[in-house]
Amino acid sequence: MFRRQTTMTIYALLFYLLAAVILVSTAIAVTRRNLVHAAIFLVASFFASALLFYLLGAPLLAMLEIIVYVGAIMVLFLFVIMMLKEKPASNRPAARGRKLWTATLGLIYLLAVILLVFATGPRGQTPLTPAVASPAAFGRYLFQGHWLGIEIASLLLLIALIGVLHLGHTAARRTAAGIEEEK
Amino acid sequence: MIVPYSHVLLLSALLFVVGMLCAVGRRNLIMILLGLEVMLNAGAIAFVGAALRWQQIEGQTVVIFVLAIAAAEVSIGLALIVWAYRRTESLDPERLQDLDTAEPL
Amino acid sequence: MTIPVPPDTLTLTAALLAVLLPLLSFGMIMLVFRHRRRLCARISIGAVSVSLLCALFLLIDHWHLNTPIRHTATWMVSGRITVSVGFLLDPISLLMLTIVAAISFLVQVYSLGYMAHDPGFSRYYGFMSLFAWAMLCLVISPNLLQLYIFWELVGLSSYLLIGFWYQKFSASTAGKKAFVMTRLGDVAFFLGLLLVLFNLGNLDILEMNAGRMPLNIPPATITLAAVLIFGGIIGKSAQFPLLTWLPDAMEGPTPVSALLHSATMVAAGVFLFGRLFPFFSQSSGAMTFFLFTGTTSMLLAATMAMVSRDIKQVWAYSTISQLGFMIMGLSAGGYAAGIFHLTTHAGFKALLFLCSGVFIHIFETNDMFAIGRAGGRRLKVPMACMAIAAAALAGLPPFSGFFSKEAIMGQLAQMANPLWLAAGLLGAFLTAYYAFRLIFVILFPRRDDTDRPPQNAHAAHAGNDGHRRAYRQMAVPLIVLATVTLVLGWGQAGLEAFLMRTAASVVHTAEAHPAAWLPYTALGLALAGILLAWVEFGRRRAAQIGFVERMPRVHRLFAERWYLDHFYRRFLERIIYGGISALCTRNDRRVIDGGLDALGRSTVAASRRLSLLHDAALQARMMLIFVVMALLSLYFLFA
Repeated sequence: MFRRQTTMTIYALLFYLLAAVILVSTAIAVTRRNLVHAAIFLVASFFASALLFYLLGAPLLAMLEIIVYVGAIMVLFLFVIMMLKEKPASNRPAARGRKLWTATLGLIYLLAVILLVFATGPRGQTPLTPAVASPAAFGRYLFQGHWLGIEIASLLLLIALIGVLHLGHTAARRTAAGIEEEK
Repeated sequence: MIVPYSHVLLLSALLFVVGMLCAVGRRNLIMILLGLEVMLNAGAIAFVGAALRWQQIEGQTVVIFVLAIAAAEVSIGLALIVWAYRRTESLDPERLQDLDTAEPL
Repeated sequence: MTIPVPPDTLTLTAALLAVLLPLLSFGMIMLVFRHRRRLCARISIGAVSVSLLCALFLLIDHWHLNTPIRHTATWMVSGRITVSVGFLLDPISLLMLTIVAAISFLVQVYSLGYMAHDPGFSRYYGFMSLFAWAMLCLVISPNLLQLYIFWELVGLSSYLLIGFWYQKFSASTAGKKAFVMTRLGDVAFFLGLLLVLFNLGNLDILEMNAGRMPLNIPPATITLAAVLIFGGIIGKSAQFPLLTWLPDAMEGPTPVSALLHSATMVAAGVFLFGRLFPFFSQSSGAMTFFLFTGTTSMLLAATMAMVSRDIKQVWAYSTISQLGFMIMGLSAGGYAAGIFHLTTHAGFKALLFLCSGVFIHIFETNDMFAIGRAGGRRLKVPMACMAIAAAALAGLPPFSGFFSKEAIMGQLAQMANPLWLAAGLLGAFLTAYYAFRLIFVILFPRRDDTDRPPQNAHAAHAGNDGHRRAYRQMAVPLIVLATVTLVLGWGQAGLEAFLMRTAASVVHTAEAHPAAWLPYTALGLALAGILLAWVEFGRRRAAQIGFVERMPRVHRLFAERWYLDHFYRRFLERIIYGGISALCTRNDRRVIDGGLDALGRSTVAASRRLSLLHDAALQARMMLIFVVMALLSLYFLFA
């Protein structure tokens, strides 16, 4: 027999722990001056997020988060961060007016989300029953029902690839020309 | 039973706010992109929670696509950041404001 | 209203031939035969001689005309306004038809000699044909609109002919001045026309002349319309205040001056007065105004003629003066007298101009003193004809001018106020004076220079064959006109009877019973004027300085045309250029151009402001997105 108050099952404890880790590491990440530090903290946040996914019954997504988000995207970020030597003076904090605006925005948002979350009423308080979507079942469902979306997503990735190649090619040529001029 | 759904939403919302503040409040192109990633991640968390709440696998399907799109977007975004860096020698978005009055590349 | 009768076939043919052949000639000359000079002259003279024959035929055939002949075709109908074209033949139009055709013919024959070596020979004959067509159609117009159209066409041909030697700046300026000044009068004419149109529904002349009762127009409107139409007459006949264009129009070739600016075109104004005489005489106030204008013009122009040294200018001022005299006669109620003077004046004034033309052509100067010194009096035919014509102008019997002037004087004597008669007599004195001043200056030049042989004289009787033929071509019209001048006076009674036959029912002019002393007084004054001229210019030891010239201030006043030109120049510059056109220019530049420029500039400025939206701060825009999202979510929550 469950009591009215939330029983702290192990799952709930895990959830709150992971939530804390995510929030704290993200908060730290956004406040770092050093971009590499920021990226690393964000990696930690994504790891915790992957574990959260696993908790919420999506093991495939957890793995995909680590492989794609952390392994590809954040690595790419680190490559570019380390490639671009930024002049230290330009990374100034925002002007004071901007800070005010940003703070106001943040407050508005917090207000909005809290209101929204708690205005949904008892429907929002439904406890989540644990369930797991096995990768096989998930894959079958995905490719049976949403094969068109998958195709489009792959097309999108192809386009992104071509675009990046083109941008990189032009930039490389220009840089080469610049180096030629300097010589 | 894990947690009430509203708690998942709250987490997602807070993460979204953090990501938004990063995108809007940091004068650095890379940080804008990082903020974008954080926001996408927050959305993914909300979707996974929704899949669990309604016991339907659709939510997780959406997350797959979110991941794909995030990958495409980051790649192009970083290529553009590299271009902007070569143009203005810095990662300051405000240096990109007066591009039309500067000399064309 | 007199009901007109339609013409018979012969009349119809003759009238159409008379007026349309010159148009055909104009077209053929200007479009086809420009390069063949002699053919052009032949075409033009041929056309106008056929017109003359037709006109004479019509005049003789309808000498006993009782009702006017009219033939019209409807041209435009709009609501209750109908406009038609056609012709109206009654005594005055038949007479004018003959005068115009005859003088055109004589002048065109004269021009064969005068313009023989001019490079614009074909163009000249083309324009002459154009003028003949326009003037002939003007005099037979049955309604005021057709008359107005040809009025303007006559003004156009005058402009073309005054500025014939367009390479000369003074000539083209004179052409423009003539056109613009007559245009000013024509504006008033048009306003009067519109007034009549709105009150009457059409512009038919016979209807207008029908008398007040059938017309149902309030008298004030009639007076206003009459005065406005008279504005056109002021412009066309060079009356005060629009008289300065006529002396300047002497820049044109002398045959042009003879045809247009003495006998026919400027007489169109007086013709219009005669045409609308019953209409005008319904308003006594208007008639008094006309009388005043005519008197002023006559006296002013006579004073200007007294001090002029240019032979053509003297006759130009004289034309203005005589036209004023005709208008005086008509305004005093003398319909037949005025028209008769118009006829005789056409004859002797054209003769005066043509004779002057011979002198100018041979001695190549306009200055009468130079002509006299160069031996002008040796040319017998021109000198004799000019003397005859000057005598007619001065009003000496037995020439035609005597009879017509007496007729008008008699009419003026009928007026209650003796002022008008006094003015007329004064005018007669001055006319005789200036006319014979010119004659004596040429006839009796100063002794010291006659010993020298003439410088550029291609003296006609000692030249080659071409000169002799030119001289003959110029002499024959002179002799014809001189004969007419001698003879026409005795036709007065017949002419007056002819004119009054159709007009008697509407023209209520009292029979002019002139006082017995009047002809003798007028003649005496004329002789006194001639005597004064003799004393000052003709005597052996005379100084050839007029009594006016001894008073430098007065001399300058007359010589400067009573400062009318100065007034016009100042008026033009201060009020028109400085005021109205400056206002319009400023409006054009600042308001219209400025408005459009501002539109363009504001578009560019707005787009520049808008382009700022493009490169506003990236993050500010993102912030905007998020704010809107938050607000939207709140809206959807609570709404």
